Amino acid sequence: MNISCRDRERIFLDGSAEEWAALEQHAAGCPVCEQEVRAWKALSSAAEELRDYREDTQLWKKIEGALRETAEGKVSWRRFSERLGAWGEIPFGWRTALAGALVLALAFSGAYFLRHQNASDPGQNRLLKNSALAEVERTQRDYMKAIDTLAGQAKPELDSPSTPLMASYKEKLIVLDSAIDELRAETGRNPSNAQLRYELLAMYQEKQQTLEEILEMKQ
Amino acid sequence: MGTVGLTLQWEHRISPVAGEGGRRVEPSQIAAGQNRENNALPEDAAIAAGCLAGDLRAYERLYHLQGARMRNLARNLLGSTTDAEDAVQDTFLKIQRGIASFRGQSSFVTWTFRILVNTCYDLRRSRVRRKEQAQGNSEQAPRPEPRAPGAHPTLRMALERALGSLTPHQRDVFLLYEVEGFRHAEIAAMLEISETASKNTLFQAKKNLRGMLEPPRGAEAGAL
Repeated sequence: MNISCRDRERIFLDGSAEEWAALEQHAAGCPVCEQEVRAWKALSSAAEELRDYREDTQLWKKIEGALRETAEGKVSWRRFSERLGAWGEIPFGWRTALAGALVLALAFSGAYFLRHQNASDPGQNRLLKNSALAEVERTQRDYMKAIDTLAGQAKPELDSPSTPLMASYKEKLIVLDSAIDELRAETGRNPSNAQLRYELLAMYQEKQQTLEEILEMKQ
Repeated sequence: MGTVGLTLQWEHRISPVAGEGGRRVEPSQIAAGQNRENNALPEDAAIAAGCLAGDLRAYERLYHLQGARMRNLARNLLGSTTDAEDAVQDTFLKIQRGIASFRGQSSFVTWTFRILVNTCYDLRRSRVRRKEQAQGNSEQAPRPEPRAPGAHPTLRMALERALGSLTPHQRDVFLLYEVEGFRHAEIAAMLEISETASKNTLFQAKKNLRGMLEPPRGAEAGAL
Protein backbone atom coordinates (compact mmCIF):
# COMPACT_ATOMS: atom_id res chain seq x y z
CA MET A 1 0.00 0.00 0.00
CA ASN A 2 1.34 3.42 -1.00
CA ILE A 3 1.10 5.99 1.81
CA SER A 4 2.35 9.58 1.85
CA CYS A 5 2.45 12.38 4.46
CA ARG A 6 -0.86 13.68 3.03
CA ASP A 7 -2.65 10.48 4.17
CA ARG A 8 -1.54 10.81 7.77
CA GLU A 9 -4.46 12.79 9.22
CA ARG A 10 -7.02 10.73 7.33
CA ILE A 11 -5.52 7.57 8.83
CA PHE A 12 -5.52 9.17 12.29
CA LEU A 13 -9.21 9.89 11.80
CA ASP A 14 -10.40 6.60 10.38
CA GLY A 15 -7.57 4.37 9.17
CA SER A 16 -7.84 0.62 8.80
CA ALA A 17 -5.28 -1.74 10.37
CA GLU A 18 -3.56 -2.12 7.01
CA GLU A 19 -3.37 1.64 6.51
CA TRP A 20 -1.88 2.08 9.98
CA ALA A 21 0.75 -0.54 9.23
CA ALA A 22 1.58 1.23 5.96
CA LEU A 23 1.75 4.61 7.72
CA GLU A 24 4.18 3.24 10.30
CA GLN A 25 6.30 1.79 7.55
CA HIS A 26 6.32 5.20 5.85
CA ALA A 27 7.08 6.95 9.18
CA ALA A 28 10.20 4.84 9.65
CA GLY A 29 11.78 6.89 6.86
CA CYS A 30 9.98 10.23 7.41
CA PRO A 31 10.95 12.20 10.57
CA VAL A 32 7.84 14.43 10.49
CA CYS A 33 5.40 11.52 10.26
CA GLU A 34 7.48 9.55 12.76
CA GLN A 35 7.05 12.31 15.37
CA GLU A 36 3.36 12.78 14.59
CA VAL A 37 2.58 9.06 14.84
CA ARG A 38 4.57 8.78 18.06
CA ALA A 39 2.73 11.75 19.63
CA TRP A 40 -0.66 10.42 18.50
CA LYS A 41 -0.01 7.00 20.03
CA ALA A 42 1.44 8.57 23.18
CA LEU A 43 -1.94 10.23 23.83
CA SER A 44 -3.54 6.79 24.02
CA SER A 45 -0.85 5.61 26.43
CA ALA A 46 -1.35 8.74 28.52
CA ALA A 47 -5.09 7.99 28.69
CA GLU A 48 -4.23 4.82 30.62
CA GLU A 49 -3.24 7.08 33.50
CA LEU A 50 -6.94 7.84 33.93
CA ARG A 51 -7.80 4.17 34.33
CA ASP A 52 -8.31 2.99 37.89
CA TYR A 53 -10.14 -0.32 37.92
CA ARG A 54 -9.71 -1.29 41.55
CA GLU A 55 -12.60 -3.39 42.90
CA ASP A 56 -14.86 -1.80 45.47
CA THR A 57 -16.88 -4.42 47.31
CA GLN A 58 -18.33 -1.82 49.67
CA LEU A 59 -20.06 -0.11 46.76
CA TRP A 60 -21.58 -3.40 45.63
CA LYS A 61 -22.97 -3.98 49.14
CA LYS A 62 -24.64 -0.56 49.00
CA ILE A 63 -26.05 -1.23 45.54
CA GLU A 64 -27.21 -4.71 46.50
CA GLY A 65 -29.03 -3.29 49.53
CA ALA A 66 -30.79 -0.69 47.39
CA LEU A 67 -31.71 -3.27 44.71
CA ARG A 68 -33.04 -5.67 47.32
CA GLU A 69 -35.13 -2.95 48.94
CA THR A 70 -36.70 -1.99 45.59
CA ALA A 71 -37.25 -5.64 44.66
CA GLU A 72 -38.97 -6.36 47.99
CA GLY A 73 -41.16 -3.32 47.46
CA LYS A 74 -42.18 -4.69 44.08
CA VAL A 75 -42.95 -8.17 45.47
CA SER A 76 -45.10 -6.77 48.27
CA TRP A 77 -47.03 -4.67 45.77
CA ARG A 78 -47.58 -7.71 43.51
CA ARG A 79 -48.90 -9.76 46.47
CA PHE A 80 -51.17 -6.90 47.47
CA SER A 81 -52.54 -6.67 43.91
CA GLU A 82 -53.19 -10.43 43.85
CA ARG A 83 -55.06 -10.22 47.12
CA LEU A 84 -57.02 -7.28 45.82
CA GLY A 85 -58.04 -9.50 42.88
CA ALA A 86 -59.86 -11.78 45.33
CA TRP A 87 -62.03 -8.84 46.45
CA GLY A 88 -64.66 -9.60 43.79
CA GLU A 89 -65.39 -13.04 45.29
CA ILE A 90 -66.54 -11.55 48.64
CA PRO A 91 -70.36 -11.03 49.06
CA PHE A 92 -71.56 -7.41 48.63
CA GLY A 93 -72.58 -6.91 52.31
CA TRP A 94 -69.22 -8.04 53.61
CA ARG A 95 -67.45 -5.87 51.05
CA THR A 96 -69.35 -2.77 52.29
CA ALA A 97 -68.51 -3.57 55.91
CA LEU A 98 -64.85 -4.19 55.11
CA ALA A 99 -64.60 -0.95 53.10
CA GLY A 100 -66.09 1.00 56.00
CA ALA A 101 -63.63 -0.59 58.43
CA LEU A 102 -60.77 0.24 56.10
CA VAL A 103 -61.86 3.90 55.86
CA LEU A 104 -62.06 4.09 59.67
CA ALA A 105 -58.64 2.47 60.08
CA LEU A 106 -57.12 4.90 57.59
CA ALA A 107 -58.72 7.90 59.31
CA PHE A 108 -57.43 6.80 62.76
CA SER A 109 -53.94 5.95 61.54
CA GLY A 110 -53.78 9.31 59.66
CA ALA A 111 -54.73 11.20 62.80
CA TYR A 112 -52.21 9.19 64.86
CA PHE A 113 -49.48 9.86 62.30
CA LEU A 114 -50.17 13.60 62.26
CA ARG A 115 -50.11 13.81 66.06
CA HIS A 116 -46.87 11.85 66.41
CA GLN A 117 -45.05 13.14 63.37
CA ASN A 118 -43.00 15.70 65.25
CA ALA A 119 -42.04 13.22 67.91
CA SER A 120 -40.83 10.54 65.49
CA ASP A 121 -38.90 12.78 63.08
CA PRO A 122 -35.81 13.67 65.13
CA GLY A 123 -34.65 10.05 65.45
CA GLN A 124 -35.04 9.49 61.71
CA ASN A 125 -33.23 12.74 60.91
CA ARG A 126 -30.45 11.86 63.32
CA LEU A 127 -29.98 8.52 61.56
CA LEU A 128 -29.79 10.19 58.15
CA LYS A 129 -27.50 12.89 59.48
CA ASN A 130 -25.16 10.28 60.97
CA SER A 131 -24.82 8.35 57.71
CA ALA A 132 -24.25 11.57 55.71
CA LEU A 133 -21.66 12.64 58.25
CA ALA A 134 -19.84 9.31 58.01
CA GLU A 135 -19.81 9.70 54.21
CA VAL A 136 -18.37 13.24 54.45
CA GLU A 137 -15.70 12.10 56.88
CA ARG A 138 -14.71 9.14 54.74
CA THR A 139 -14.39 11.36 51.64
CA GLN A 140 -12.43 13.92 53.64
CA ARG A 141 -10.00 11.23 54.82
CA ASP A 142 -9.45 10.03 51.23
CA TYR A 143 -8.94 13.61 50.06
CA MET A 144 -6.42 14.31 52.83
CA LYS A 145 -4.51 11.13 52.01
CA ALA A 146 -4.29 12.13 48.33
CA ILE A 147 -3.11 15.65 49.25
CA ASP A 148 -0.49 14.14 51.57
CA THR A 149 0.80 12.16 48.60
CA LEU A 150 1.09 15.39 46.60
CA ALA A 151 2.81 17.06 49.55
CA GLY A 152 5.29 14.20 49.68
CA GLN A 153 6.20 14.82 46.05
CA ALA A 154 6.71 18.54 46.65
CA LYS A 155 8.65 18.04 49.91
CA PRO A 156 12.19 18.14 48.46
CA GLU A 157 11.47 21.53 46.85
CA LEU A 158 9.92 22.90 50.02
CA ASP A 159 12.57 21.65 52.44
CA SER A 160 15.25 23.76 50.78
CA PRO A 161 13.54 26.42 48.62
CA SER A 162 15.84 27.43 45.80
CA THR A 163 14.00 30.61 44.76
CA PRO A 164 12.14 33.42 46.58
CA LEU A 165 8.94 32.24 44.90
CA MET A 166 9.40 28.75 46.31
CA ALA A 167 10.03 30.27 49.75
CA SER A 168 6.77 32.19 49.52
CA TYR A 169 4.96 28.99 48.48
CA LYS A 170 6.40 27.36 51.58
CA GLU A 171 5.10 30.18 53.77
CA LYS A 172 1.70 29.99 52.12
CA LEU A 173 1.52 26.26 52.85
CA ILE A 174 2.45 26.84 56.50
CA VAL A 175 -0.39 29.37 56.81
CA LEU A 176 -2.79 27.01 55.03
CA ASP A 177 -1.79 24.09 57.26
CA SER A 178 -2.37 26.12 60.38
CA ALA A 179 -5.78 27.28 59.09
CA ILE A 180 -6.64 23.68 58.23
CA ASP A 181 -5.64 22.53 61.73
CA GLU A 182 -7.81 25.20 63.33
CA LEU A 183 -10.78 24.37 61.13
CA ARG A 184 -10.39 20.65 61.79
CA ALA A 185 -10.37 21.26 65.51
CA GLU A 186 -13.49 23.43 65.14
CA THR A 187 -15.14 20.77 62.96
CA GLY A 188 -14.33 18.14 65.59
CA ARG A 189 -16.22 20.19 68.14
CA ASN A 190 -19.13 20.77 65.79
CA PRO A 191 -19.15 17.86 63.28
CA SER A 192 -22.46 18.56 61.55
CA ASN A 193 -21.80 22.23 60.78
CA ALA A 194 -21.90 22.27 56.96
CA GLN A 195 -20.41 25.78 56.74
CA LEU A 196 -17.27 24.65 58.58
CA ARG A 197 -17.01 21.64 56.25
CA TYR A 198 -17.22 23.92 53.20
CA GLU A 199 -14.51 26.19 54.61
CA LEU A 200 -12.32 23.19 55.32
CA LEU A 201 -12.87 21.88 51.79
CA ALA A 202 -11.92 25.29 50.35
CA MET A 203 -8.68 25.22 52.38
CA TYR A 204 -7.87 21.73 51.14
CA GLN A 205 -8.54 22.77 47.55
CA GLU A 206 -6.25 25.78 47.98
CA LYS A 207 -3.53 23.52 49.37
CA GLN A 208 -3.99 21.08 46.51
CA GLN A 209 -3.73 23.88 43.94
CA THR A 210 -0.61 25.30 45.61
CA LEU A 211 1.05 21.89 45.63
CA GLU A 212 0.15 21.36 41.99
CA GLU A 213 1.72 24.72 41.11
CA ILE A 214 4.89 23.72 42.95
CA LEU A 215 5.03 20.43 41.08
CA GLU A 216 4.49 22.25 37.78
CA MET A 217 7.42 24.54 38.57
CA LYS A 218 9.49 21.48 39.38
CA GLN A 219 8.96 20.38 35.77
CA MET B 1 -5.65 27.02 21.37
CA GLY B 2 -3.18 27.76 24.13
CA THR B 3 -1.66 25.46 26.67
CA VAL B 4 -3.26 24.86 30.02
CA GLY B 5 -0.38 25.97 32.13
CA LEU B 6 1.37 22.65 32.21
CA THR B 7 3.35 21.67 29.18
CA LEU B 8 5.17 18.42 29.44
CA GLN B 9 7.60 16.63 27.28
CA TRP B 10 5.39 13.69 27.91
CA GLU B 11 6.09 12.07 24.58
CA HIS B 12 9.54 11.41 25.95
CA ARG B 13 8.41 10.34 29.40
CA ILE B 14 6.11 7.50 28.53
CA SER B 15 6.38 4.55 26.27
CA PRO B 16 4.39 5.25 23.12
CA VAL B 17 4.30 1.52 22.36
CA ALA B 18 1.19 0.57 24.28
CA GLY B 19 -0.23 -2.26 22.23
CA GLU B 20 -2.44 -0.78 19.58
CA GLY B 21 -2.64 2.47 21.57
CA GLY B 22 -3.00 5.15 18.94
CA ARG B 23 -3.91 2.81 16.15
CA ARG B 24 -6.81 0.92 17.62
CA VAL B 25 -9.12 0.02 14.80
CA GLU B 26 -12.67 -1.16 15.02
CA PRO B 27 -12.97 -4.87 15.81
CA SER B 28 -15.27 -5.17 12.81
CA GLN B 29 -12.08 -4.88 10.77
CA ILE B 30 -10.30 -7.65 12.62
CA ALA B 31 -11.43 -11.28 12.59
CA ALA B 32 -10.10 -11.91 16.12
CA GLY B 33 -12.09 -8.96 17.36
CA GLN B 34 -15.24 -10.46 15.87
CA ASN B 35 -14.65 -13.72 17.73
CA ARG B 36 -14.17 -11.88 20.99
CA GLU B 37 -17.38 -9.95 20.47
CA ASN B 38 -19.34 -13.11 19.61
CA ASN B 39 -18.08 -14.85 22.75
CA ALA B 40 -19.16 -11.92 24.89
CA LEU B 41 -22.71 -11.89 23.50
CA PRO B 42 -24.14 -15.01 25.25
CA GLU B 43 -22.98 -13.75 28.66
CA ASP B 44 -24.40 -10.31 27.83
CA ALA B 45 -27.78 -11.88 26.99
CA ALA B 46 -27.68 -14.14 30.06
CA ILE B 47 -27.08 -11.17 32.36
CA ALA B 48 -29.88 -9.22 30.68
CA ALA B 49 -32.25 -12.19 31.09
CA GLY B 50 -31.23 -12.60 34.74
CA CYS B 51 -31.82 -8.91 35.45
CA LEU B 52 -35.20 -9.10 33.74
CA ALA B 53 -36.11 -12.04 35.97
CA GLY B 54 -35.13 -9.98 39.01
CA ASP B 55 -32.20 -12.26 39.85
CA LEU B 56 -29.81 -10.28 42.07
CA ARG B 57 -26.94 -12.59 41.08
CA ALA B 58 -27.23 -11.24 37.52
CA TYR B 59 -26.81 -7.70 38.84
CA GLU B 60 -23.85 -8.86 40.90
CA ARG B 61 -22.29 -10.44 37.80
CA LEU B 62 -22.84 -7.19 35.91
CA TYR B 63 -21.15 -5.29 38.74
CA HIS B 64 -18.32 -7.80 38.85
CA LEU B 65 -17.72 -7.46 35.09
CA GLN B 66 -18.39 -3.76 34.59
CA GLY B 67 -18.55 -2.08 38.01
CA ALA B 68 -14.94 -0.89 38.10
CA ARG B 69 -15.18 0.48 34.58
CA MET B 70 -18.50 2.18 35.39
CA ARG B 71 -17.04 3.79 38.50
CA ASN B 72 -13.94 4.90 36.62
CA LEU B 73 -15.95 6.46 33.78
CA ALA B 74 -18.31 8.21 36.20
CA ARG B 75 -15.37 9.49 38.21
CA ASN B 76 -13.70 10.90 35.10
CA LEU B 77 -16.96 12.46 33.93
CA LEU B 78 -17.86 13.94 37.32
CA GLY B 79 -14.46 14.53 38.91
CA SER B 80 -15.59 13.15 42.25
CA THR B 81 -15.48 9.64 43.70
CA THR B 82 -18.55 10.17 45.88
CA ASP B 83 -20.61 11.47 42.95
CA ALA B 84 -19.32 8.60 40.80
CA GLU B 85 -20.46 6.02 43.34
CA ASP B 86 -23.86 7.68 43.55
CA ALA B 87 -24.09 7.62 39.75
CA VAL B 88 -23.23 3.91 39.59
CA GLN B 89 -25.79 3.07 42.28
CA ASP B 90 -28.45 5.16 40.51
CA THR B 91 -27.62 3.39 37.27
CA PHE B 92 -28.22 -0.05 38.80
CA LEU B 93 -31.54 1.12 40.21
CA LYS B 94 -32.52 2.56 36.82
CA ILE B 95 -31.59 -0.75 35.17
CA GLN B 96 -33.82 -2.55 37.66
CA ARG B 97 -36.69 -0.15 36.98
CA GLY B 98 -36.25 -0.05 33.21
CA ILE B 99 -35.04 -3.56 32.31
CA ALA B 100 -38.43 -4.36 30.78
CA SER B 101 -37.82 -1.61 28.20
CA PHE B 102 -34.51 -3.14 27.06
CA ARG B 103 -35.18 -4.35 23.53
CA GLY B 104 -31.72 -5.60 22.63
CA GLN B 105 -31.03 -3.09 19.85
CA SER B 106 -27.59 -2.67 21.39
CA SER B 107 -25.69 -4.96 23.73
CA PHE B 108 -26.81 -4.96 27.36
CA VAL B 109 -23.47 -3.49 28.44
CA THR B 110 -23.81 -0.63 25.95
CA TRP B 111 -27.35 -0.01 27.22
CA THR B 112 -26.03 -0.01 30.80
CA PHE B 113 -23.34 2.53 29.99
CA ARG B 114 -25.82 4.68 28.13
CA ILE B 115 -27.85 4.89 31.33
CA LEU B 116 -24.69 5.64 33.31
CA VAL B 117 -23.63 8.43 30.95
CA ASN B 118 -27.10 10.01 31.13
CA THR B 119 -27.10 9.69 34.91
CA CYS B 120 -23.73 11.48 35.00
CA TYR B 121 -25.11 14.22 32.72
CA ASP B 122 -28.05 14.68 35.09
CA LEU B 123 -25.74 14.90 38.09
CA ARG B 124 -23.45 17.31 36.25
CA ARG B 125 -26.38 19.54 35.31
CA SER B 126 -27.82 19.58 38.81
CA ARG B 127 -24.38 20.40 40.19
CA VAL B 128 -23.98 23.28 37.72
CA ARG B 129 -27.43 24.57 38.70
CA ARG B 130 -26.50 24.42 42.39
CA LYS B 131 -23.22 26.17 41.67
CA GLU B 132 -24.94 28.84 39.58
CA GLN B 133 -27.42 29.46 42.35
CA ALA B 134 -24.59 29.75 44.85
CA GLN B 135 -22.14 31.83 42.80
CA GLY B 136 -23.79 32.88 39.54
CA ASN B 137 -21.04 31.06 37.59
CA SER B 138 -21.26 29.44 34.16
CA GLU B 139 -20.51 25.74 33.49
CA GLN B 140 -16.97 24.66 34.11
CA ALA B 141 -15.32 21.30 33.69
CA PRO B 142 -15.27 19.33 36.94
CA ARG B 143 -12.10 19.79 38.93
CA PRO B 144 -10.95 16.24 39.60
CA GLU B 145 -10.26 15.12 43.15
CA PRO B 146 -6.79 13.86 43.83
CA ARG B 147 -6.49 10.10 43.67
CA ALA B 148 -3.92 7.43 44.25
CA PRO B 149 -0.85 8.22 42.16
CA GLY B 150 -0.32 6.12 39.03
CA ALA B 151 2.90 5.59 37.16
CA HIS B 152 2.99 9.21 35.93
CA PRO B 153 1.07 11.42 38.40
CA THR B 154 2.22 14.66 36.78
CA LEU B 155 1.23 13.44 33.35
CA ARG B 156 -2.16 12.41 34.72
CA MET B 157 -2.69 15.82 36.30
CA ALA B 158 -1.72 17.53 33.06
CA LEU B 159 -4.08 15.31 31.10
CA GLU B 160 -6.94 15.94 33.54
CA ARG B 161 -6.43 19.67 33.21
CA ALA B 162 -6.21 19.50 29.45
CA LEU B 163 -9.38 17.38 29.33
CA GLY B 164 -11.09 20.10 31.37
CA SER B 165 -10.39 22.53 28.52
CA LEU B 166 -12.08 20.36 25.88
CA THR B 167 -15.76 20.69 25.11
CA PRO B 168 -17.82 18.29 27.28
CA HIS B 169 -18.66 16.28 24.17
CA GLN B 170 -15.01 15.89 23.13
CA ARG B 171 -14.08 14.97 26.68
CA ASP B 172 -16.78 12.29 26.88
CA VAL B 173 -15.84 10.68 23.57
CA PHE B 174 -12.13 10.71 24.48
CA LEU B 175 -12.83 9.09 27.86
CA LEU B 176 -15.13 6.45 26.38
CA TYR B 177 -12.76 5.52 23.57
CA GLU B 178 -9.26 5.97 24.91
CA VAL B 179 -9.75 5.34 28.61
CA GLU B 180 -12.61 2.84 28.71
CA GLY B 181 -11.85 1.16 25.39
CA PHE B 182 -15.29 1.31 23.79
CA ARG B 183 -15.65 1.09 20.01
CA HIS B 184 -17.08 3.94 17.97
CA ALA B 185 -20.24 1.93 17.29
CA GLU B 186 -20.79 1.53 21.03
CA ILE B 187 -20.05 5.18 21.76
CA ALA B 188 -22.46 6.17 18.99
CA ALA B 189 -25.19 4.09 20.67
CA MET B 190 -24.43 5.52 24.10
CA LEU B 191 -24.30 9.17 23.09
CA GLU B 192 -26.97 8.91 20.39
CA ILE B 193 -24.66 10.18 17.67
CA SER B 194 -23.40 8.61 14.45
CA GLU B 195 -20.22 6.56 14.28
CA THR B 196 -18.71 9.17 11.98
CA ALA B 197 -19.49 11.91 14.50
CA SER B 198 -17.81 9.83 17.20
CA LYS B 199 -14.69 9.42 15.05
CA ASN B 200 -14.58 13.11 14.14
CA THR B 201 -15.04 14.18 17.75
CA LEU B 202 -12.27 11.88 18.95
CA PHE B 203 -9.95 13.16 16.23
CA GLN B 204 -10.67 16.77 17.21
CA ALA B 205 -10.28 15.98 20.91
CA LYS B 206 -6.88 14.38 20.35
CA LYS B 207 -5.70 17.23 18.16
CA ASN B 208 -6.69 19.74 20.83
CA LEU B 209 -5.09 17.68 23.60
CA ARG B 210 -1.88 17.45 21.62
CA GLY B 211 -1.84 21.20 21.17
CA MET B 212 -2.32 21.70 24.89
CA LEU B 213 0.08 19.08 26.16
CA GLU B 214 3.03 19.19 23.84
CA PRO B 215 5.84 21.66 24.59
CA PRO B 216 6.17 24.63 22.24
CA ARG B 217 8.41 23.76 19.29
CA GLY B 218 11.09 26.24 20.38
CA ALA B 219 11.18 24.95 23.95
CA GLU B 220 11.41 21.39 22.72
CA ALA B 221 14.32 22.24 20.47
CA GLY B 222 16.00 24.00 23.38
CA ALA B 223 15.48 21.02 25.63
CA LEU B 224 16.99 18.57 23.19
